[in-house]
Amino acid sequence: MTTHPQHLRLTTVDTEGSIRIGLQGDLDYDSADHLLNEVTAHLAARPALTDLHLHCAELDTVDSTGLSALLMISRRTSGAGVRLHLDARPERLDRLLHLTGTLDHFTALVPGGAVRSPATEESVAATRPNGPDGTT
Amino acid sequence: MRCNEATGLLLPAAAPGTPLVAVAPDWLCAAHTALTRPGPHAVPDTEGPLHGVIGGRRVAAYPSVRTDGSVAWWLVDDTDHQLVREALRVERERTAFLAKASNVLLSSLNLGRCMDVTAQLAAESLADAALAIAPPRGHRLPVVTCLRGGSPALSTQEGVDPDDVPGLGEALRGFPPVPSRWIDPATAPAWMVPPGFGPVGSIVITPLPGHGVAAGALILLRRTENAAFTDEEEVFARLFAARAGAAMSAARLYAEQTAITDVLMRELLPPTLHHISGVDFAGRYRPSADHERVGGDFYDVHPAAVEGEASLVSLGDVCGKGLEAAVLTGKIRNTLHALLPLADDHRRMLSLLNTALLNSHHTRFATLVLASAVRRGNMVDLKLTSGGHPSPLIIRSDGTVEEADTNGTLIGALPDITATTAEASLAPGESCVLYTDGITEAKGGPMGDALFGEGRLKRALTECAGMPAEGIAEHVQMLAAQWLGNRSHDDMAVVVISAPRTHHLSAVNGRTRGRFTA
Amino acid sequence: MNTSTQPPPSRSEHAVRSADLLWGAVSVSDEGAATELVLGLLDEGTDPESVLLDVIARVQARVGEEWAAARMTVAQEHAATAINDRAVAAVSVHSAARVTATRGRITVACVDGEWHGLPARLLAEVLKLRGWQVDYLGAQVPTRHLIAHLHGTRADAVALSSSIATRLPTAHAAITACQAIGVPVLVGGAAFGPEGVYAKTLGADAWAPDARTAADHLARGRLPRPEPDHQQFDDLPHLADQEYTMVDRNSDSLVRSVYTELEDAFPGMRSYDDLQRERTAEDLAHIVEFLATALYLDDEELFTGFITWTAQILVARGVPDRSLPPTLDLLARELKDFPRAVRILRAGTRSITTAPFTAARNIA
Repeated sequence: MTTHPQHLRLTTVDTEGSIRIGLQGDLDYDSADHLLNEVTAHLAARPALTDLHLHCAELDTVDSTGLSALLMISRRTSGAGVRLHLDARPERLDRLLHLTGTLDHFTALVPGGAVRSPATEESVAATRPNGPDGTT
Repeated sequence: MRCNEATGLLLPAAAPGTPLVAVAPDWLCAAHTALTRPGPHAVPDTEGPLHGVIGGRRVAAYPSVRTDGSVAWWLVDDTDHQLVREALRVERERTAFLAKASNVLLSSLNLGRCMDVTAQLAAESLADAALAIAPPRGHRLPVVTCLRGGSPALSTQEGVDPDDVPGLGEALRGFPPVPSRWIDPATAPAWMVPPGFGPVGSIVITPLPGHGVAAGALILLRRTENAAFTDEEEVFARLFAARAGAAMSAARLYAEQTAITDVLMRELLPPTLHHISGVDFAGRYRPSADHERVGGDFYDVHPAAVEGEASLVSLGDVCGKGLEAAVLTGKIRNTLHALLPLADDHRRMLSLLNTALLNSHHTRFATLVLASAVRRGNMVDLKLTSGGHPSPLIIRSDGTVEEADTNGTLIGALPDITATTAEASLAPGESCVLYTDGITEAKGGPMGDALFGEGRLKRALTECAGMPAEGIAEHVQMLAAQWLGNRSHDDMAVVVISAPRTHHLSAVNGRTRGRFTA
Repeated sequence: MNTSTQPPPSRSEHAVRSADLLWGAVSVSDEGAATELVLGLLDEGTDPESVLLDVIARVQARVGEEWAAARMTVAQEHAATAINDRAVAAVSVHSAARVTATRGRITVACVDGEWHGLPARLLAEVLKLRGWQVDYLGAQVPTRHLIAHLHGTRADAVALSSSIATRLPTAHAAITACQAIGVPVLVGGAAFGPEGVYAKTLGADAWAPDARTAADHLARGRLPRPEPDHQQFDDLPHLADQEYTMVDRNSDSLVRSVYTELEDAFPGMRSYDDLQRERTAEDLAHIVEFLATALYLDDEELFTGFITWTAQILVARGVPDRSLPPTLDLLARELKDFPRAVRILRAGTRSITTAPFTAARNIA
């Protein structure tokens, strides 16, 4: 198997109480562990974290292993009492989440299972820093 | 003639004035005559000096024609030189032989072929006949025999005890290491001597070292008229045996590994599908990597336990690749099999499967489609349920392609799932296509960068109206393969359920049915 | 044993008649009738080998001709082939086809990327009838699987089938790999060219034009064990110029740039719908694929033959073929640094701009 042309690149922006990770490229069999490790490390290092934003605008292909990583991240964040946000989802990701019946799971996600207000995503987008200032 | 002092040492009769013929050997005289004969002569740019024997020593003779027409012969003793050259030639031949042997032996991982090669090479260069023997299996001893110039032949010796032959039992056990062993030809059992070989002069049994695995033994036979083995030849035979042993033990390990994988794999490979209770099924599967035979896609058809009830088809895709994914598909297939009594209620089945797969350590999930198919008159009634999987496509007689209205949650990662079931009926000649996203996500095409996609799949299926299930499955698989070209891809699986065309009925219910579904 | 039974005239007429009947069933996708017919022939006492080769293979050849002449879609070809395949299956389980294996063992397989499995399957069945133990690996067999199988089985020979010329480089890799592990290879199928010229180029141990000849050849005696130190490169020293490698590796971008240039040359192409666009790009990709294969074999005729056929197909499809010469021209310009490629492309242009074809085109 050749190396994937669209290797996943993660850009982490750390603000008080929340972490935003920009995803660029393919989230797939070869790269899913990379994201999962990154998120797990942040969760361990920041016990006071309230929100984790995965910014998906530049996310290309997501395969089943990639989706599995997102599900694992959601399981870990809810275990740690952190809200997970999949922001700026491209249409293709939405289609995958819809097809697999997981769209509701990811968009209605708050610790304890209560339904999150749809406004949250907007407010988060508003407080987004202008550009990435940290690359992993 | 004239001569120097040293000539006297070589040719004691030589003295100035004596004719050359009286003192020199014939080969030198002849060369001299040829050289001194008047006329044009094409000497001495022949191939170097003349060689000959004088008084038991090898001599090189270099002529030089002097201005007065006489010839001076310079005689150089090169006996040692020749001996070294001969040794070098033999050594080169042996090296070449060992290189060839390694080449041929290393290229095969088949034990039988390695034994053939071992016996044949040994018979070519080491002996008049050679036997390659593998460790016994039960009371059977596999023996490949080869006569010089012949081709190797396998025979299995029944009821032979290798321990009856001195040195053979030990050699075949592989441990502890034993040296080559000479045996008295008179004591050799009949099976060791190839028919028509004649009287045996010498026999040596050499173990084939297998590095922890018993590789076998090599037996070399020479006829009476040929020389017995020298020490040097025995060392050489041992060098060859080391190579043959390494190859045979590698082949043996490979065969054992393959046998294990085959047994495990058999359970994981998708089944061959056919006609069941008046419904046609066809399936195709292509794992992602060429070196795998199994992967994360799977399908099964479970015939109804009671005639007249629905058969259950499952087709799905687990995340991940290769053997690891295949093991999970095995678990899913087994669980579904156990849940067959509930096949009437797809949602419940999926829900139970979901619970069975949930695991606190990972979120490896599966998406799948369940399809129940039952013949009703000429029609086939379907119930279709998706667990987070692309919806089945139905090809109508007029070429319309419909998407079954079912959706649900993927299986095995979330505590609760939902799923809706769609119902549909197939008229004769109509088909329902279940597929995994390896087909639609196949990346390629003429420019190499486009997904095969649902649109293209649907368009291709409109051309498949009225086609038999096998043809459709093959067609879909071929289109995806062509789209991909040589590019890498995910697992791809497709299952087609068809209502047989009406004029086909006589054959299905008539006398031929039992014959071609047998 | 009589290995080359020629049926007497009356029987061969019978076979032709039966083939016509089978064609009738196959062309309307009537699997039941097809199987019924084949089983009927066997019940009457017709030799199973003759049913396979004089009836089913004949119908399959007709399927191929219909497709090549664009009178049958690929989907229809598949439907027909699937039914023929069922007919072969029916023969293989009939009591008349039950033969004990008394000879050696043969592995029958199609080259990777070759999905026309039926010719290989027919050969496999014929070899079984002739007393061989046969492992039929099917269509599209990756070379790795073939080699793994051979390591495990000690076959006397491999019979390798390929019908598409563009699979020849892959076939070459498979042939060399089998030989390297000591198993001789007999090849067959349209890919290997008229009289099997490419079989020789690629160093195959034997070639046969059809299943009967292949079976006869194998019956004559064991194929000799191939030399182990033969390498792929030995057969084709011209590969040293890397032209094949470059064209093969960059085929996607080659297709893309020539497509764009074609749009400039034929502004009408801009109004193509997605399907037309894809068709055109596919035709282009095919041309590049055949060019690469011609480079691999260093054989102009392989390319000119394909171009002439494409021109005819375009006419049959009702597509104007005037874009073909400029296409070849654009390719030659893209590949100007590759002298062999340019030579082959020029030959392609000549083959469709010479008199006989131009005349035919003008009539059409």
